[in-house]
Amino acid sequence: MKSLLATLALTTALTLPGLAMARPVTLTTTLSSYGGDGAYLALYVTDPSGAYAGSLWMAGGKSKYYEHLTDWYRATGGDTAQVDGITGASVGAGRTLEITLDLADALFDAGYTLHIDAAVEDMRDSPNEVAVPLTTAGAGTPVTGRRYVASFAYDM
Amino acid sequence: MRKTLALLVASTALTATLGFAAWSATRGPADAGPLPVAAMSQDGTPALPLILISDDDEDDEDDDRKGSWWGYDDDDDDDECDDDDDDGGCRGGARNPAPAGSKLPPQNGLFGTGAPPQVQVN
Repeated sequence: MKSLLATLALTTALTLPGLAMARPVTLTTTLSSYGGDGAYLALYVTDPSGAYAGSLWMAGGKSKYYEHLTDWYRATGGDTAQVDGITGASVGAGRTLEITLDLADALFDAGYTLHIDAAVEDMRDSPNEVAVPLTTAGAGTPVTGRRYVASFAYDM
Repeated sequence: MRKTLALLVASTALTATLGFAAWSATRGPADAGPLPVAAMSQDGTPALPLILISDDDEDDEDDDRKGSWWGYDDDDDDDECDDDDDDGGCRGGARNPAPAGSKLPPQNGLFGTGAPPQVQVN
């Protein structure tokens, strides 16, 4: 009986923290009226050393155009498995893309950076269009992109 | 004498028939213009009809976007890479990724095990 209780206590102690290890985070990307066609966007994360850690979302479903998301493409080799299940349509000029993802708490306040690469047909590719550190203090603070993104913010 | 006459008549009739057929073939339909010279063989008898091989470019539909790196909307299905399944078959071996909702997000340590991604475009 005692050993059973000890086992139950141990498993509970191991399991309970896991329930609080992730939370819903909303990423809101508003494109400027750049006067072109729908933009492809790659949202991905780098770790504190700057190395690619993983992708969060891909806006644009045709992999043959991913080479125009140059930083993402260089980091992943264009591996589409990196964005399986997290791919949607490209985003039109002036439109707002709102994505809610269940993200690990460990990403925040730990030196991770969220990047957005952007590309538009017949217009200049824009790698690292947005780069924001993931911190609880930075939640809700909009930033402006280099070329196509009018504002980007994440809310927790 | 009669036999000779009969032979002459028969040969004349045969020649006339063949000649008329040849002449008709060279004329073509009444409303058609003159046939290309190549439609005639060197001895004037009709050659086999020519078949124009189309130089139809499979990208004809995006003539207005030639030189750009994509010719279709994201929803267009003419792209040979635009398969709904994961079997690939695209140039260079790269397949299109699975769309959101059709598969779990990648196990890259960034995602929790909670709700699947939700997306909205305004």
